[in-house]
Amino acid sequence: MKFTPKEIPDNVNVSKTHPLIEFFWLVGGLVLVVGIVFFTLGLLTDLAVSRTSPKIETWLGKYLAIDMQGEANPALQRRLDALLATLPEDSPLHEYEFTVSLINSDTVNAMAIPGGRIAVFRGLIEKVESENELAMVLYHELGHFAHRDHLRGLGRGLGLTVGTALLFGSDSGAADLVAKTLLSFQADYSQDQESAADSFALDRLAEHYGHAGGATDFFNRLVGPASSQAEHIAYILASHPHPQDRIDAINSLIQEHGYSVETAIPLTADILPPKEKR
Amino acid sequence: MEILLQHGDLVLFLTLLCLGYGAGSWAEKSHYASINKREKELAHLPVVTGRESYILGEVEQSELVTGSVVVSIDYFKRLLAILRNIFGGNVKSYESLVDRARREAILRMKEQAQAKGADLVINLRLETSAIGQSANQKRQVGSVEAIAYGTAVCLAKR
Repeated sequence: MKFTPKEIPDNVNVSKTHPLIEFFWLVGGLVLVVGIVFFTLGLLTDLAVSRTSPKIETWLGKYLAIDMQGEANPALQRRLDALLATLPEDSPLHEYEFTVSLINSDTVNAMAIPGGRIAVFRGLIEKVESENELAMVLYHELGHFAHRDHLRGLGRGLGLTVGTALLFGSDSGAADLVAKTLLSFQADYSQDQESAADSFALDRLAEHYGHAGGATDFFNRLVGPASSQAEHIAYILASHPHPQDRIDAINSLIQEHGYSVETAIPLTADILPPKEKR
Repeated sequence: MEILLQHGDLVLFLTLLCLGYGAGSWAEKSHYASINKREKELAHLPVVTGRESYILGEVEQSELVTGSVVVSIDYFKRLLAILRNIFGGNVKSYESLVDRARREAILRMKEQAQAKGADLVINLRLETSAIGQSANQKRQVGSVEAIAYGTAVCLAKR
């Protein structure tokens, strides 16, 4: 037998498909699957939330024991109770027993926690200068309760985590990838919620004080003198709209409803302990 | 600039992806060019998987020859494989990797056999394994090792 060297012209062991084409097919399929899951999840959460009574929610809040390490603040609680008293008789918010706590942190923020708890950070109180502003912030959080946003957020977040873990395994690269893809959808949804809560807060504020003074003061202070276009772009993926956009939205609502804007009442300094003691 | 800093992990991911695709494709292309060229050069040296029945003539010397190579996957191939893990099907991105490793291993073995003045290599065996600290671990870039070994046979010149 004689050996004749031959060249093998074709390689059958490697697929001819271009890797980029395969990549786009797979990514497309993934986006589709995730989109369907995310959409269904959103619908289910909204359905579940609309059927969850405040009583169940309070129980859930206790059961989950979301610990924010805040301390009860009588001065804030007094203000909140006063605001609650001005709500209409038929408001579903009356089913809650609201408590407000102060968290000792420089963060400028406030939160709605399932079960009728509102947490306000010290950083926010230090920025606030009038009673009206503070009322706007508290009403904003009440707006989240009225729209059940805190539950929706919790449900979607929980559903998303469980969903991706079930689909792709709890610790896979794919789960990371999906989470990143969904970030932008979630941000858009959450910005809508913030705007709705702002609108709720403005209406209540105008009814409580008879005018809408102080509604935008707080955001004005957040924006500061220089607000660049680049800053706006950075807010596309943020959970809250850019403060300037919120001011514009509130101002157009003020005009639409014909609210008058009068001078706000300065804040009584009884919330925070005096500076030298801290 | 700010948005880039805020989403650092996303930027890093995309950078690694582009780097993986660019560098990976370039490395694969040049590797295949080298493999094809050397395969042609060494085509005159027969390599068979069978044993002594192939030998025509008197054996003067026989010796073990081995060739092994480790090829790493790149970030892009890994992502393709991860996506494949979801939908199933052929993991095409790994096919070229294993193909390259096997052919390179055989080539290195043949080069060794030629250096020893062998007339043919019999009893060729191929083995493949995942290698590195990351082998069989999730979320890590791994490598594939291929080893080819056989018996180089020098025939007595008549």
